[in-house]
Amino acid sequence: MIKEKEHNSSKAHFWKSVLIIAGVFSFALCILIIGNYFQINKADPVNTKVINTLVDRLNQNPGDQALINEIREFDLLARKAYFTNQWQIRFGGYLLLFGVIVMLISVLMMDSTKKKVQAITFVKDDKLPTTQRNSRKWITIGGIALAVITLIFAFLSHNELGNKFSQKESSESKLNKNDSLMVDSNNIQNSDTLKINSDSSNLDTVITVGLIEFPTAAMMSNFPSFRGPGGNGIAYQKNIPTSWDGASGKNIKWKTAIPLPGYNSPVVWGDKVFLTGANGTKQEVYCFSKSSGKILWTADVSGIQGSPSTAPKVTDDTGYSAPTVTTDGEKVYAVFATGDIIALDMTGNKVWARNIGIPVNHYGHSSSLLLYENKLIVQYDQNNGAKVMALSTQSGKTIWSTLRKVKISWASPVIVNTGSRVEILLIAEPYVASYDPATGKELWKIDCTSGEVGPSVAYANGIVFALNEYAKLAAIQIGDQPKILWENNDYLSDVPSPVATDKYLFVVTSYGEVACYNPKTGDKYWNHDFGTGTYSSPMLVGEKIYLMDKKGTMHIFKADKTFSSVGDPKLGENTVSTPAFADGKIFVRAGNNLYCIGK
Amino acid sequence: MCKIKNILLFFFFVIISLQVFDLSAKNRFPKPEFESGHVQPETITPAPRAMILEYIDVFVLIVALSLISWLILKKRSRKGVFWMSVFTILYFGFYKQGCVCAVGSVQNVTLALFNESYNIPITALLFFVIPLLYTLFFGRTFCAGVCPLGAIQDIFAFRPMPIKAWLEKVLGIIPFIYLGLAILYAATGTDFIICRYDPFIGFYRLDATFMMFMLGAIFLLIGVFIARPYCRFLCPYGALLNIVSRFSFKHMTITPANCINCKLCESSCPFGAINMPAPVKEKEKTEVIVKRYVLLSVIVPVLIFAGGFIASNFHENLAMVNHKVKLATEVMNNTNFGLKDKEAIEITAFKSSGQTIEQLYSEAAVIIDEFYIGSWILGCFIGLVFGLTLVSLTVFKYHSDYSPNKATCHSCARCMDYCPVLPEKK
Repeated sequence: MIKEKEHNSSKAHFWKSVLIIAGVFSFALCILIIGNYFQINKADPVNTKVINTLVDRLNQNPGDQALINEIREFDLLARKAYFTNQWQIRFGGYLLLFGVIVMLISVLMMDSTKKKVQAITFVKDDKLPTTQRNSRKWITIGGIALAVITLIFAFLSHNELGNKFSQKESSESKLNKNDSLMVDSNNIQNSDTLKINSDSSNLDTVITVGLIEFPTAAMMSNFPSFRGPGGNGIAYQKNIPTSWDGASGKNIKWKTAIPLPGYNSPVVWGDKVFLTGANGTKQEVYCFSKSSGKILWTADVSGIQGSPSTAPKVTDDTGYSAPTVTTDGEKVYAVFATGDIIALDMTGNKVWARNIGIPVNHYGHSSSLLLYENKLIVQYDQNNGAKVMALSTQSGKTIWSTLRKVKISWASPVIVNTGSRVEILLIAEPYVASYDPATGKELWKIDCTSGEVGPSVAYANGIVFALNEYAKLAAIQIGDQPKILWENNDYLSDVPSPVATDKYLFVVTSYGEVACYNPKTGDKYWNHDFGTGTYSSPMLVGEKIYLMDKKGTMHIFKADKTFSSVGDPKLGENTVSTPAFADGKIFVRAGNNLYCIGK
Repeated sequence: MCKIKNILLFFFFVIISLQVFDLSAKNRFPKPEFESGHVQPETITPAPRAMILEYIDVFVLIVALSLISWLILKKRSRKGVFWMSVFTILYFGFYKQGCVCAVGSVQNVTLALFNESYNIPITALLFFVIPLLYTLFFGRTFCAGVCPLGAIQDIFAFRPMPIKAWLEKVLGIIPFIYLGLAILYAATGTDFIICRYDPFIGFYRLDATFMMFMLGAIFLLIGVFIARPYCRFLCPYGALLNIVSRFSFKHMTITPANCINCKLCESSCPFGAINMPAPVKEKEKTEVIVKRYVLLSVIVPVLIFAGGFIASNFHENLAMVNHKVKLATEVMNNTNFGLKDKEAIEITAFKSSGQTIEQLYSEAAVIIDEFYIGSWILGCFIGLVFGLTLVSLTVFKYHSDYSPNKATCHSCARCMDYCPVLPEKK
């Protein structure tokens, strides 16, 4: 027992000594680090008196090489001293940490030599009911105090922030709109003088707002945007070929390699075909000759203010240039996954460019652009602040911007003429909505979809058809009080969009099955499995549907009550883009090439 | 001796704070100017941590939880718990630098639930779920010595002092409020406030702002006298464990066999988490209790609604933490973040982002709307917590012997050292 006592005593003595040594060591380090701290705080390595004097002398005698070398040496010394001090402080910190750890261990070891474990000297608690009563009392007091303080703060700082932001946003939009109208009125004045020179079509478009002409004749004679004029899946073209063969070259007019990758589709105006490509470091717009396939010009889209220095992350199956360009025959407009948007004239010169904010989109932005009169319509359904915008085609300024309470969407806008007005139709979880292209005002909306929406809507005869994979297919009777006419979930799609006529609705699934419905009742006329998946959207051309599958086979069938195949010509290259149709030709982006198919 | 130690500890915290504060301010001096020929090297982004190492962390977590549960429940070893705490400080603290930790993972899970574009790392999800599962089986063994925040405080608890039971109850509500706020801010994508205001991460990384070092130092100094202040009165993950642990299948016991009511353990718990024997005679009259129950059954829904109403009125203040709302407010009021001499860096960054002002306003308006709804939910939740706490304080729980309070017991095993009862021989 005595031996054990002695042992414990010597052990305690030892750890006490260790504690004192570690304590003194740590204390000394504290002093040193404090000293170093003040030293480093005082020193400014880029603004020393000596160097400043030498720099002044150098300014008087700029060619003095010896002086330059001397400045460099002093500068190096000052920086060295600074970084040495930094290192000393950090190393001192580690040593101090070590010292404190030793101190802690010493205390613990000293405690362990004590025979009895130390109890916590608690004051004997009140009896249970008293404790509970006290607890209830103080919780009530605490709760009331918290509520009162919160209310006082809420009252004092109540600012109607949400309303203020909304009002400010609309006033900013109005300002921009006025700017834009000023631009347009300038344009009208300029056009007045040009009118003498005959071409006043653009002027007419500006001043005849209200006379519904959509799509315009010029749009219908070309192929100005993704899924044709208005993006509704209809090409107003004739004499489109129904047979070709990529392997033998039959009816392949030309094939041109596209420099950069992209999942966007070609658009055609006059003798030009447009595409874009991007790879995360470069963004380009290409103009091809419709007749020869030669690249007429390439526009590099860079140096735009606000463009991110590093491209946002996108998935491989979306890429950096999924949105298709649009054109009005005067300018071509393109948008990329970086939020960069550009307007180029028909010779490839930049008219305006801006960044509309980096889209917060985990796959990458893919919604294509559309035009209505002098407005470029952008569906920007991103994670924070989904919206639809109209930018001035002249200046790029925002004419209107309407907030949308929807999730991210990859669908593209569709603009249709309902007979009484023109409407922009958008789809994203949870609803399909219509907007006035002149003001951006929401005309109607109806909840009918969910999930990550990829397919755009189709429209015919006053009915909008909306669908998405794992959701449903809904036929919506449009109007200020829209209603769902019928629903079905047998055939759905996550990428290809449907297409509709007055008599038929065609739905294409991503795995390659096509179903034809009665658009008014939802009765299915037929379904046919092509066996190969498709991401390309079907196009109605005359009385036929053209549907390109992923392996490059075009399935052509009649838009009829029964399935009737016209042909399945093969191109021989994989594709996910939707073809363009113009002037008796088909333009297909497949692999890394742009093909022209024609007789 | 204790005084010397505390003085030295104080110096340690002050110096660490000073050096880090200074370094972060001084690192930004301009690069040297070179006349020509020299190409500035490109900034290299470090590669993310290898996936295998992430899985090893999960494996270590499982092993540590299994080991500490065994040490507590089977071996009844306080010493074992202490050395597990040391291991946790070294591995999850200094080596892993406190990330990813179960405490912060609450926010990852919340963000994943509310933001479809956020893919939660599988390790974050596992760090959230595994301690909860262990708690459901064995009580809060995670808190005992596997949580790096708890472990560092536990080691500093040298001279714990008692605090009044009612105060413990009142302060015990704070973690639930903090949890609600953390979920609100994570759900709105505003911030991970648990991580931002983690007082101990600075020590583990030897890198933090001056204020955070001071906060950490204050917590540790308070922790010398009031054991584990962060765990008891702030930790939002502890609030979750508090609930789950109530239903634990096999919680630790103070005695290995029948309690002999020797009272030796009575003052052993630094967290006041021992249920003392309560004789039936202490029970209030049944009619009083029934009356109170009736009153509370009316008050609880009122508290829920009142909480929602009050918090919803406070939503603008809560939303000001969001940088976009703050920026929009500064732009709208033209206050330039209080700076007069030069343009605030936030304003400059916004201008160069290419975003339009109306976009900023529209985004801020959306966020304000989200906060309005979120504040209602937060307020209702806080009202519910207050209500249920009041209800629980009405319930009389009869105890014939000393037992750990399953909700608040950190399973630190201190009380076991005081128990003279020997395990029954099989």
